[in-house]
Amino acid sequence: METFILIGITGIGLGALYFLVASGLSLIYGLMGVLNFAHGSFLSVGAFVGYWLARNLGPETSMSEFILAMIIGGLAAGAFALLVEQLLITRLYDRHIDQALVTVGVSLVVGALLGGWFTNDLQIFPTPLWFYTAVNVGGAMIPADRVVYIATAVLLLIANWALLKFTRIGLIIRAGVENRHMVNALGVNVRLAFSTVFFLGGFAAGVGGVLVSVYSNGVSPLIAGTYLIYGFIVVVIGGMGSVPGSFIAAMLIGVIRQFANYYVTGLGDFVVVILLAGVLLIRPQGLLGKARA
Amino acid sequence: MNALSVKDLHVKINESHILHGVSFEVPVNKVTVLLGRNGVGKSTTLRSIMGFYEGTGSISLNGKEILGMQTYKIAQSGVAFVPEDREIFASLTVRENLSLASREKNSDAAYKLVYSLFPELDTRASQIAGSLSGGQQQMVAIARALLNKNEILLVDEPTKGLAPKLVSEVAEVLMRVAEHSTMLLVEQNLSLVKKIAQHVIVMDQGRVVYQGGPEKLNDASWVHQMLGVSGGHK
Amino acid sequence: MLRWKYSRPLLALLLIVLAIAPMFTSLPLGKPGLQQTMAVAFIWGALALTYDLLFGFTGLLSFGHALYFATGVYVSCILINHDVVSWWLAALIAIASSGLLAALVGAASLRTTGITFAMVTLAFGEAGHVIVGKNFFNLTGGENGIALNAERIPQFWIGVFNTKYIYWTALLALIITYLVIWWVTESSAGKVFAALRDNEQRVQVLGLNTQRFKLLSFVISGTLAGMLGFVMLIAAGSAAPRFAESTVTIALLLMVVIGGAVTRWGAVLGGIFYSIASTRMQDLTQQESFASIPKWIGGPIAEPALLLGIIFIFIVMFAPGGLSGAYYRLRLRALTRKSS
Repeated sequence: METFILIGITGIGLGALYFLVASGLSLIYGLMGVLNFAHGSFLSVGAFVGYWLARNLGPETSMSEFILAMIIGGLAAGAFALLVEQLLITRLYDRHIDQALVTVGVSLVVGALLGGWFTNDLQIFPTPLWFYTAVNVGGAMIPADRVVYIATAVLLLIANWALLKFTRIGLIIRAGVENRHMVNALGVNVRLAFSTVFFLGGFAAGVGGVLVSVYSNGVSPLIAGTYLIYGFIVVVIGGMGSVPGSFIAAMLIGVIRQFANYYVTGLGDFVVVILLAGVLLIRPQGLLGKARA
Repeated sequence: MNALSVKDLHVKINESHILHGVSFEVPVNKVTVLLGRNGVGKSTTLRSIMGFYEGTGSISLNGKEILGMQTYKIAQSGVAFVPEDREIFASLTVRENLSLASREKNSDAAYKLVYSLFPELDTRASQIAGSLSGGQQQMVAIARALLNKNEILLVDEPTKGLAPKLVSEVAEVLMRVAEHSTMLLVEQNLSLVKKIAQHVIVMDQGRVVYQGGPEKLNDASWVHQMLGVSGGHK
Repeated sequence: MLRWKYSRPLLALLLIVLAIAPMFTSLPLGKPGLQQTMAVAFIWGALALTYDLLFGFTGLLSFGHALYFATGVYVSCILINHDVVSWWLAALIAIASSGLLAALVGAASLRTTGITFAMVTLAFGEAGHVIVGKNFFNLTGGENGIALNAERIPQFWIGVFNTKYIYWTALLALIITYLVIWWVTESSAGKVFAALRDNEQRVQVLGLNTQRFKLLSFVISGTLAGMLGFVMLIAAGSAAPRFAESTVTIALLLMVVIGGAVTRWGAVLGGIFYSIASTRMQDLTQQESFASIPKWIGGPIAEPALLLGIIFIFIVMFAPGGLSGAYYRLRLRALTRKSS
């Protein structure tokens, strides 16, 4: 039973990391139709800015310093995302394939810059000592860092939901996911929603980048790729444009992957792809996605 | 006095030439009906006025050029659009659909007008718009357009696909709205057109072939020749 | 498309020069080093062409093309090393496996379109990468890959002095790939592919099964990639997970966009350019003079992805059509000037 809880919660923790990447991908795709390959570089930017800050804040990183590094990393990634959107994406308005191609270019350039400046080797991310302790959940000793991942993801999910539900920009985003031309025709500039979504998606990815670096035992420009691919899988399974769908799919994939890996090492990734194929055959629009005409 | 004036409008969509030099005027405070067979470019004309497509020529609103402006700016200058197929936001509630559309700072009077026209929308404010009937969805689409002060209303086939009883309901609303606004209406239902039209434009193959008073609508052979339908029946 | 009456004789002449040059040891192409570089570049050029069939000619943005290439590399290597069948039968089985896998994955992922299709093919491609990286049943050698057992293939492919045979094999593979894709795209099926890219509905109206044509394009492209996988195995002498990475597909995309899609020779040229540029960049940055450049500039420049990424962004933003597109624009300008 303890093992079961441990694997389950570790899976949910991993799912939380996937969600941080996937939520932005899903909204950006849902609203603008952009397949954003640069999302991995948002993650890297967040990770490296957070790393730089945590390293320079002093020899021992406290919990509040870590949270600060996470927020600043997220803000830096959000600002970078906004820059990519303003400088490149908006100029290719409605040319979806070219938009995807340009984001591929961005991911290459950012990967090369970070690799050139910091090398591609793993560099330890300073974390509070508390992360190395364990929390007792139903008799199972859960590594404390997993709790941080889950708490952060849940917090961002709630913030995301509140923003979408209760603010005017959230209303514009939800309407825009459905039909952005009609939003424009009502006299509402939908591009404000585009920029917001890019910033928020970048922020979530940046925060995710800091956490991913802790989970992977260090920062490296090479880590982002794997999470980007898992982010895509989560978005497809959860349904494009649906944040709750991404959340459910992320948790599902995290847990299934951990259990599969527990029984047969290395089987996890394979099972996830089988799951993806299965979902596509039965529900091509994903779990909570809407069928497109 | 014309609210809208379209001159020599050419529009291409995906390399195919849809509008070949369309020119017409929409007089102020009147209902102008845009007629023509299917596929002659009526919807494209409305959508071009809305800035959905790029085009050449001129579209001026109260003397101000709006061709080439971004859609949201065109809407903000006072062009309201009720599209074919309604295009309401199906996953949003009725209230959210309306509040998205409402741009006025003081919107109480506008809401009062809308709810007096469509009392049903008030009672169904919290309902998801996608679950409304076709007629109710059309009301949401029209209500959205009435929440702001407009120079002109573009209404594209508001009775399309509606049951006869709903057609007369929508017609009644349109006529009440028409009392104090400028409207450019695309409509196939000839009996409704005869009741409401104060100015008539007929299009054929991407061009305007008639522009003038509504009296011609009573000439059955003219209607038959222009629209390919028999004018005698309802 | 513009035709130039001298293009075919010139192309034939170029091919003859490329084919006989390695025989003269005094020429640069007589040196094994350049022969190896060019052999690898030819394979990439041909692979880029198979990707152009998908992306350029059919309009399918696949991110999993590496899967069929890697299948060709690994299946032939495993069959040869375990002495299951002779080398040429191993190659044929590997090519057939790539085609079959493309048919299966294509059938599943073509249920989606556009951007979703891109994500789904990416996921399948990554699954392939993960599987070869895991060393199931001790077959793939995990992260290190497997070295090809040189005793089980013809000896003319072995040794530094025989590099010219690898060069010729790669050139032959490029010519075969070019001819197959030329034939496919000029055939009536090719016209349907092009129509699919431009307007799928119109093709459906004609009563053609669009799914079947897309799948056909997907399978032809995958099968050819499998063949090139076998040739890459000969050229590289080993099967490694890097052949299965999604970065391979992204590189192919870059090659096609840089060279220009839908012109065939654009993709080939893009592939050759990309391959040579990435090798040369690495050589260049290892020279001593390079060490004098400050690290904050020199570090990123040493990564070939930086320059290629910038070129790529520039082409997408400002020069759609790539190298071949620019060439045709120039010719068009010259023609209109002459006629006016």
